[in-house]
Amino acid sequence: MIEVNKLTFTYAKNALPVIKELSAIFNRGEITAVTGKNGCGKTTLSKLMTGILHPDCGSVFIDGEDISGMNLFAIGQRIGYIWQNPNRQLFCPTVAEEIAFGLRNKGLSDVEISSETDRYLQMFRLAAKKSAHPLLLSLGEKQRLALAAVLSLGAPYLLLDEPTGGLDVRCRRLLGVELQQLAERQNCGVIVISHEDDFIRRFCARKVVM
Amino acid sequence: MILTNLDARVKLLMLVAVSSVALIIQRPLTLAAVLLLTLILLLAGGVDRAKVWKQTRAMLSIIGGIFIIQCVFCRAGLPLITIGDFTLVTTGGLQMAVVVALRLLIIISSALIVLTGEMRDYLLALRWCRLPYEIVYMTLAALRFIPLLRDEAVSIYSAMQMRGYNIKSANWHKRIKLYLAMLLPITASALHKAGQMSIAMETRAFRCMPNRSEWRSLQFSRGDFIYTAIFFVLLIAIIIFIKQ
Repeated sequence: MIEVNKLTFTYAKNALPVIKELSAIFNRGEITAVTGKNGCGKTTLSKLMTGILHPDCGSVFIDGEDISGMNLFAIGQRIGYIWQNPNRQLFCPTVAEEIAFGLRNKGLSDVEISSETDRYLQMFRLAAKKSAHPLLLSLGEKQRLALAAVLSLGAPYLLLDEPTGGLDVRCRRLLGVELQQLAERQNCGVIVISHEDDFIRRFCARKVVM
Repeated sequence: MILTNLDARVKLLMLVAVSSVALIIQRPLTLAAVLLLTLILLLAGGVDRAKVWKQTRAMLSIIGGIFIIQCVFCRAGLPLITIGDFTLVTTGGLQMAVVVALRLLIIISSALIVLTGEMRDYLLALRWCRLPYEIVYMTLAALRFIPLLRDEAVSIYSAMQMRGYNIKSANWHKRIKLYLAMLLPITASALHKAGQMSIAMETRAFRCMPNRSEWRSLQFSRGDFIYTAIFFVLLIAIIIFIKQ
């Protein structure tokens, strides 16, 4: 489980804290939604949980390990993170290479990389665009690609910052089903930052309101 | 009087004066005195010491690198450090290295004067200098993009690491490849932002009329005049006094 313990974070000196003494628990095997008003610190929380930002006070534990001593590479082995803006995590020259990037870093063989890449391209309906540059895709396609690239890594936890933003109804449903399967079959802990009540009601087991 | 309250025109004038002096003067002692004056000006003007140090520290490795290059490659003067028959550092090389390092430090410090004001004030100040509004506005708008682009670079860098790329264990060849891979999305994002911004501006009547009115204007106060006078007297005094 991921345990957030009395987190406090302030962006600028002498400013009011964005997050103040926040504590929460995110279990494996279920989807937890994080919701709240605009500007309440949901994205900040996600960045604190993934070590991109460092809290002023408090700590984050992943399966009992404090992340304060870990680098992003080590945290990335435990949590797959999807940014709110997919442009901020797409950097490879083709769609297929974007998915293969993480698989290659995991040390998979060329055959495994190729088959896994094809599987995710099919799953996220990106096979027709496998040679396209990621930045030339539509917003929805970029969102799907970012999801595919992170899901392919198979981290025990997934943190998705507003993943349904650019998705149509069908893709949203497919994503929900895929996340549910990940949580139930692979005991993955999924955390979804979302405003969409419908998505939360349908797919999330618990809700953290900020 | 703190620098934040100073007229933007005065700050620009100070920046130009200090930077020009730094580029013209060759004597290390005069440059050191100008650097000292700039630092006193900043600290007495209420600029946070930590901010001055943070900005300077970020450039120290570059300044150090330039210092070493100047020391080694400028061969003027007498030998200072020799290894066998080979002269590693000469007196002229060392002097040039000190001059270049001091110049850079002065330019960085003087740039901090500008950071104490708001962009819109500099826009008015540059307009007062009869520069075309479009060019001034676009230059200052581009400067506002820098923190956004930095954020984007940090995000991409973080995403790479979180997707299993261990930067610490990567060799220099791989690191350069990684930085090059980051360039394209950042450049594309900058162009996209610029395109969006130009559309947004035109929809809000930018350049619609030949003459543009100003909502606010800069006021040159007595304090500004006194501050400018003291600054220039000190600057000229340093140049003349140390020359003698």
